[in-house]
Amino acid sequence: MKIVSPYCTIGPFFPASFVEGHDDLTHHRGGTARGQHIALSGRILQEGGVPTRNTILEIWQPDANGIFSSCPGSDPGFSGWGRARTDAEGWYKIRTVVPGSYDGRCPHANLMILAIGLTHRLVTTVFFPNSPDADPDSVRDPVLDCVKDTIARQRLFAKREKADEYRFDLILRGENETPFFLD
Amino acid sequence: MPAPKIDYQPYDDATQLARYIDRYPLSFKRTPLAPLIPRPLTLSERTGPAAAELFPTGPLDLSRSAADAPKATGQLIQVSGRITDEDGSPLAGAVVEIWQANSAGKYIHDMDRHNAPIDPNFTGEGRLVTDAEGQFQFFSIKPGAYPVLESGWWWRPPHIHFSILGRSWMDRFVTQIFFPGEPLNETDLLLNAVSERDVRERLIFEFEGTSMGEVNAMGFRRDFVLRGRRQTPELD
Repeated sequence: MKIVSPYCTIGPFFPASFVEGHDDLTHHRGGTARGQHIALSGRILQEGGVPTRNTILEIWQPDANGIFSSCPGSDPGFSGWGRARTDAEGWYKIRTVVPGSYDGRCPHANLMILAIGLTHRLVTTVFFPNSPDADPDSVRDPVLDCVKDTIARQRLFAKREKADEYRFDLILRGENETPFFLD
Repeated sequence: MPAPKIDYQPYDDATQLARYIDRYPLSFKRTPLAPLIPRPLTLSERTGPAAAELFPTGPLDLSRSAADAPKATGQLIQVSGRITDEDGSPLAGAVVEIWQANSAGKYIHDMDRHNAPIDPNFTGEGRLVTDAEGQFQFFSIKPGAYPVLESGWWWRPPHIHFSILGRSWMDRFVTQIFFPGEPLNETDLLLNAVSERDVRERLIFEFEGTSMGEVNAMGFRRDFVLRGRRQTPELD
């Protein structure tokens, strides 16, 4: 058995091509994604609610029918993977579709963060409410259910602000800290 | 044909950098306070994009900005290696992205305030897809050292950043690799944020000697082991 290489994600100087053109999952291989197109945006904040600038956020999610792009039958117009960078106020924005549910998993997207100050990536999962007034406590999902604290659990849900706009903030540390998963 | 089921275990701290680093205040402002939460791995975490489809490849030769452009300033190097999983199986078709400072220790980036010149013939970024043996090879110039200005004392030794998109969300990998024999290696906060000497050595290139001929370069090699191994069938 070989020994896994050490992570070292720190480095603010991510090159321009690292993010350019990767913040839109809805156009892929010349096609347009099926399903409801949305902007998923929010702020990434450090301790004290201070915005993080130049933080990299990556996303991996299934298409509107709940099928991953690398699996048979997936939407050819949807890439499923993307990458964005926060601005000086800590804002990121990704164009995607509302992910579909599939056997056993509620609508969700995997997220990871790379930033100065973090030697490892941070991973979490954002969940999308099935309807605007759905009660997050009633949702059953094997990953979401690992978050036992009911307040923390609610922090993993994106907020639907308009029909085509969802907001999800990531608070790396401190008050209202986002739950992150063991990686 | 269904892909073999891959087993991913959480990273072992003994093989990794510490999350909190003394004299590096930002690590104390961004590392979550709450313990990381264990979770099961479902299809969602076990899959990943067909990475090679997402990116144009190239450039493979960072030492010039175009085939007919002048050479970048600096010492020519070849950077190569092989990517495997924990079983030693090669990761073919993985996307490898690299980025680095120029020979004066300057990045092309809006946050780089170091007073060193930009090299118009050096962009400092490259990308490729590994071959069937999991191998990669770039040409570049040796990066320079540079100060972390807000620290008041810390100079980063020469290093190259690597980002690898493997076969799933779980083996997504990002690191930076240092050059052997650099005096600044002894004081770098990141290279020394490891508990064991052999972990530190896995963050440093091996010098492979020089090549003469069509391409003259100093050779530097670093192999990577990404997380993941085949599950052994359970015995009846």
